[in-house]
Order: sequence, then C-alpha cells, then structure tokens
Amino acid sequence: MKIRFWGVRGSFAMSGRDFLRYGGNTTSVELLTDAGERLLIDLGTGATELGKQLMAAEFGKGQGKLPILLTHTHLDHIQGLPFFTPFFIKGNEIRILGADPNSGLSLEATLQNQLAPHYSPLNGLENLAAGVSIETVRPPAKISLPGFEVTTMAVPHGSMFTTAYRITADGKTVTYLSDVEYPDLDAPPAEVLALARGADLLIHDAMHADHDYDLRRGWGHSPARAGVVVAERAGAKKLALFHHSPDATDVMIDEVVERTSARTAVPVFAAAEGSYLDV
Amino acid sequence: MQITFWGVRGSYPVPGAATVRYGGQTSCVEARSAKGDCVIVDAGTGMRALGNKLLRESMGPRQYHVLLSHVHWDHIQGLPFFSPAYVPGTKIAIHALLTAADELQQVIGGITRHEFFPMPLEAVPATFDYHQVEPGVEFDLGAFHVTPIALNHPFGSVGYRIDCDGSSWAYVSDTAPFDRVLHKQHFLSGPEPLSDDDKTSLGTMREALVAKLRGVDTVVYDTHFLPDEYARFPHYGHSTPDQALDICAEANVRRLVLYHHAPSHGDEQMDQIAATYLAKGEAAGVEVLTSFEGMTLPIGTADPPERTNPGIGPA
Repeated sequence: MKIRFWGVRGSFAMSGRDFLRYGGNTTSVELLTDAGERLLIDLGTGATELGKQLMAAEFGKGQGKLPILLTHTHLDHIQGLPFFTPFFIKGNEIRILGADPNSGLSLEATLQNQLAPHYSPLNGLENLAAGVSIETVRPPAKISLPGFEVTTMAVPHGSMFTTAYRITADGKTVTYLSDVEYPDLDAPPAEVLALARGADLLIHDAMHADHDYDLRRGWGHSPARAGVVVAERAGAKKLALFHHSPDATDVMIDEVVERTSARTAVPVFAAAEGSYLDV
Repeated sequence: MQITFWGVRGSYPVPGAATVRYGGQTSCVEARSAKGDCVIVDAGTGMRALGNKLLRESMGPRQYHVLLSHVHWDHIQGLPFFSPAYVPGTKIAIHALLTAADELQQVIGGITRHEFFPMPLEAVPATFDYHQVEPGVEFDLGAFHVTPIALNHPFGSVGYRIDCDGSSWAYVSDTAPFDRVLHKQHFLSGPEPLSDDDKTSLGTMREALVAKLRGVDTVVYDTHFLPDEYARFPHYGHSTPDQALDICAEANVRRLVLYHHAPSHGDEQMDQIAATYLAKGEAAGVEVLTSFEGMTLPIGTADPPERTNPGIGPA
C-alpha cells in the first residue's frame, strides 16, 4: 500500500513562502493498494490538486470509482468538495462515507447545506454530474471497500466526536487519528489504542506544539506528544505528525519533529504534501 | 484613501509554490480613509491576516464594517478566523445583498454552525448586526459613502462604489459580463437562451454599472477568466480582463485592477497576464494593474502601489 498526503494543514489553508515544504493545503490523504485501488480520506483543499490529476486517467472519461471517508464536516475537511473535478464528470461513481455530525443533521443534509445556493453556485449535491452516494457510517462499524478493510471509531474532538479510521490493505495498516483530543494525554482511551495497535503508520493530530498546548486545552486538538503516547502504547511502527497549525511555518514544524523524535524510539516525521510513500 | 489587498484569489485558497508572489488567499480588500476609518470588502480567507494586523494595531474592541458582495464560500470563509471577533466588545456590522436581514443572519450564522466550525456564532464574543443593501440605495459608513451596484452572478451579487477623501474606488466582483448569460435564482449547467426581457435586464444592469463607475479613480474587477477559459465556462459568473477593460474605458475610469484570479493561474502566468493587459490598457487609455496579496494602492493619486513584503508581487 502507498500513501500520499495532498493536504496536511489544520483549520485554514496557508499560502506563502513559509509553508512550501510541508504544504499549506487542508487535510486530504490518498491511499493506493498495490493493485491500484484508491481510497481518499477527507476533502480539504488538498483534494483539489488530486482531483485535477485524477482527470488524466479513468476519471476524465467518466469511468472512475472512488470511496471517500470523512472524519467530520468542519470546513477544513470538506472545503475541497465543490472543487474536486471528478464530481463534474458523468459516469464517475463516488461514495462519500462518514458519520452523521452530532448536530441532529444527517451527513447528507450537512453536505447539502455546504452546497446551498447562498454558499455555492452548485446549488445542491444533485447538480454534481457524477454518481454520488452519501453513506452514513455508525462507528464502531467495520466497512469493506474494494481493496481495503476499514474499522471506524468515534473519538473526542472538543464538544463533538470525529471518526477515526484503521485501514488495512496489502497486509499493511494505517491508522488515521486526526482532529482528536483525549481528556488525559497520558492515558489515551483503550479503544483508541486498539485502533492503532501494531499499525505500520499512525497519522495523528499534532496541531499544537507541546509548549503551546496549555493555552489551547479543550479546543479539540492534540499536542505532538499525544501521538507519541498512542504510538508507543499501541506499538505503532511509525508516527506521522499531522493537521499542522496554520501558524506553524516550515521551520517551526522542523523543530517539533526534532523535539518529538528526541523523546521516543518510534520513528517520527511530519506529514508533508508531496510524493507517494510506501507504508 | 488607500486600499490593501488581503486576498486576491477566486473560488478557493491555493497554497504552494505557484502562488507565492501573487498570493493564494481568497477575496478580501481593506479600505482606509486618510483619518484611519476602515471598511472591509468581502470576508474571504484573506480576512485572517487582516484581522491579525488590525489586532496588532489596536488590542481594544472596535466597530468593524464588512461589505459583502455575496455569500459564496470564497467570500465569507475568513469570517470565523477574523481574530478581532474574539475580543469582547468588538462590533461587526455585516452589509449584504439579500431579501431579508433575518435570512442574512441565518446564512452568516450558518458558516459557524456546529457542522462547519467548532464555535457557533452566538458564542463568539463580538456582537454582529446585519444590514441589507439594495442596489442604487446609497449609504454612509463613517467617512465612506457607499453605492451598491447590481452585478450578474448566480443568485445575485453586488458591487460597491466607495467615495471618501475626495476620491473614489469601486469593487466589482463577482460578475459575469452582460451579454451571453443572465444569472438568476437557479442552477445553470450551461448558458440558457436569452428572452427579450433577459436582454433588457442585462442591458439595464450594464448601463447602471457604467453610470456608477463613471469617473471613478480605481476599479477592482472580477477578471477570473482568460478569454479562452470564459468561452468554455460562460455560465460560471465571472469576467475576463478584456470585458473589464471595455466597461472601464467606457466609464472613463483612470485605473483598473485585475482581481479574483483563477486558482489555476500561477505566478508566471499572472506575470504574463499583467504584462498583456498593461499594454492593452495603455491602448484603451486605462492604467491596468494586477492585484497581489499585500498590495496597497493610494486612491486618487498617481503614486505607485506599495508592497507590504518586498518578495511578494510581480517579478
């Protein structure tokens, strides 16, 4: 299985020179099996560039199939939806899977609101030319997708929950824990450890530098060391710091990686936009 | 009066190496009067950096006025990230085109609804109030005299002429030209045939726009598309620099500023666009500038634009 980070930034897309090495796009991550099956997690601005590249092959001909897992519907995780070009080609079949937000609205109604005529000229999901299905997931349900086995888990994110994913393909496992904050950093919930158990790659929310965290406790995001605790206790083989703060420049992220690496034997890197990596 | 561009991009923010010089954030322009009054036009992602600057200037609560052209995401997405909104006592007045002020409150409140943003608008410390604008109905905001102008964009959009300190500028974004497509309150999958009434509506809209722009010093105009792109997407609601130049030349505008750049137009292409239309503008008797993030333009003088950061802007 290969992975490519198309967007690694949390909350807000950052342009400019200070954000070139790690990238300024909001979250979107692609997984690709050895046989070429594809899965996307989240539709932040990073998805727009992937969408353009997908058009060169079967998606440009209306023959593409893609499942997309959403962690939740905060804007930085869905703002690429109206600009993901494969949606505009008839014949493509795109499934969007995610939990209903805990607002009382369904996932489908929420995405409809995003495309409501005030906010978007698309004026509703029904105007996307591709076949689009919105499928509500009820964590801790398991999902089988072509090439991928997926376990879901509801995890705390401020006053709400987001969906975390454990994804296995080609005998490798990626655990995606973004937009999460545990009540006690030193004692992550048992179900979170189970989700990350033995993962080849753990992608973890690292919005805050450890020294900034005290000011931002309760906002729903983790400091870099939270991912270290999960990786060590769950025996994950590698840790990707993810969902970087919009205020974190390349230099600041370098420092976080250096400090985090110094405190653990688990190999640590900061997720960056760029090329396909082997899991 | 001067104006500063905090976001110049259309549709969605575009990070990366290709947008370092012109900028990747979406629509937001700040106007300042000589005595320091401020009005903000559009609340795209550029509004985050503007908010941080305003807080550096003054930590205390202030009254802000935000004029919205319309409420598509790229024009409102910066609002929850506007840091002065988190200072208790701050007042933010939102002026926008909609049929009912109540509905406007719902639309703006909807940006921060639980599903899209962690903090609901009601929990944000600033107080918000909402004012409906109507094309042709002028109003004053402190030192600024504001004239809303109807534009041609899906579900409606409004431009603003802003007079202050004896000069004027106008914000004309987002708008399609006034010939092939009339945007109404429904989704267009392509251009629809125009009825005689539609043609009359378009003619009236264009005439009113030219009349309001007559003699304006500087016009900031939606020039999202190059002509070949417009030919493919005439129903998307955006214009080309050529169409903007026609309007500005006809209205005797001194200076046109290209704005709302397509996400796909990287810095090198923007340099070419800037050079091409500077030359076309000279031929038409209009100075044409291309906006970039951080550009400050004095209005009503021949002074050149200033750059906030020497590394940002045209090559």
